[in-house]
Amino acid sequence: MPDTITFKIKRQDSESSGSYWETFVIPHVPNSNVISCLMDIQANPENSKGEKVAPVVWECNCLEEVCGSCTMVINRKVRQSCSALVDQLEKPITLEPMSKFPVIRDLAVDRSRMFGALKKVQAWVTADGYHDLGPGIREPQNHQEIAYKLSECMTCGCCVEACPQYSLNNNFLGAAAISQSRLFNMHPTAKNIADERLDTLMQEGGIADCGNAQNCVEACPKSIPLTESIAEIGRQVSGKLWSNIFQA
Amino acid sequence: MDSHFLMRRIHSLTGVVPVGLFLVYHLYLQLYLHSGAETYNTAVNSFYDSPLAIWTLVIVVYIPLFFHAFLGVRLIFESTVQPSYTYFSHLLYWLQRISGIGVLLFILAHVWNTQFGPWISGTWGTHFEHLSSGFSDPESGIITKTVYLLGVLGAVFHFANGFNTFCMTWGIALTPKSQIRVRIFSILLFLILSASALYALSAIW
Repeated sequence: MPDTITFKIKRQDSESSGSYWETFVIPHVPNSNVISCLMDIQANPENSKGEKVAPVVWECNCLEEVCGSCTMVINRKVRQSCSALVDQLEKPITLEPMSKFPVIRDLAVDRSRMFGALKKVQAWVTADGYHDLGPGIREPQNHQEIAYKLSECMTCGCCVEACPQYSLNNNFLGAAAISQSRLFNMHPTAKNIADERLDTLMQEGGIADCGNAQNCVEACPKSIPLTESIAEIGRQVSGKLWSNIFQA
Repeated sequence: MDSHFLMRRIHSLTGVVPVGLFLVYHLYLQLYLHSGAETYNTAVNSFYDSPLAIWTLVIVVYIPLFFHAFLGVRLIFESTVQPSYTYFSHLLYWLQRISGIGVLLFILAHVWNTQFGPWISGTWGTHFEHLSSGFSDPESGIITKTVYLLGVLGAVFHFANGFNTFCMTWGIALTPKSQIRVRIFSILLFLILSASALYALSAIW
């Protein structure tokens, strides 16, 4: 009996069709990751019953856990499939698309809601026109360490997939967007519109929808201190709430 | 800022002030169970001597309590069950919701049994006798005791853990270090209030 690995993959043929499980058995290659196994399946898309099927669809790009596009649920937990080494995983390996986003096909999901959240909180440095504004304000040294860590967010979706408050039928912005609000609210130039970010975060779907389950910080592959960001934004909106009541 | 945000902030605030503080005062009052029937009844009844007693109770306790409870129940239905993420904080998140439901049911029964019931039946005032006879009833006593034990410990847990999340929600505990400090404080709060409540109950056990 040759050395093989069994994959149980949750598949879905189109955006509107139902999902089903399909099993694939492929030869074991030492040091392989989930993506190289998916490539093997793609090369010979034959399920465990010996039927020729459509190859499994997934997304990937950087293959070094910095782009976030290959995020999926592996053995019931969300993570990047490029850094999921097969030899370290429990067998059979189950692969599912993330459950908090609409499925496009098989393991590929539409994460535009996350990018929409970044737009809502204006997670960017504002520039007033195209003319030369001169050099930007220097980032203080004590901000750099925090900002660097926060800037590692790749909008992969792990935090919101693990979050019990984020679901397909609500409009919670999620931990990633809250953390990015913190990053840009501390940026010397981007903090000009800190108030506008807080306004968005003080509406339905904003910071108040956080339930403090703290799964986000556990699930984050970049170890971004998401709960610290949530607490910091909580402090900022508390201040704004105070000024809305007593100083407006 | 919309009403959604404001409601949830009021929900967070009412859990600690005044409902949480009332719980502490209420548990403190129960320690008088050890001082005998007369002292206990006097201690409880003295609150009702004030002409504003009922108003105080309604404004400081009932309205914030039931606002907190009913919004809380609504919040539970917004949660997604995700058993594969077995983290401690996630467990607390669910315990907070389960204890909330349990404590709400307990409070409804408790208010009916110790306040409205005696008012209606005209036996108001003899609180000690009412409680101890309920606890020592040969048939229903064991059920009453179990319900009280679960209800009281549930309420103390809900308050202590709620205090912990309160500090995060309002941005009081910012860093992981300070969040651990607040967690240690909330564990101590849970232990002290539990010990106080259990000691009080032991008087009529």
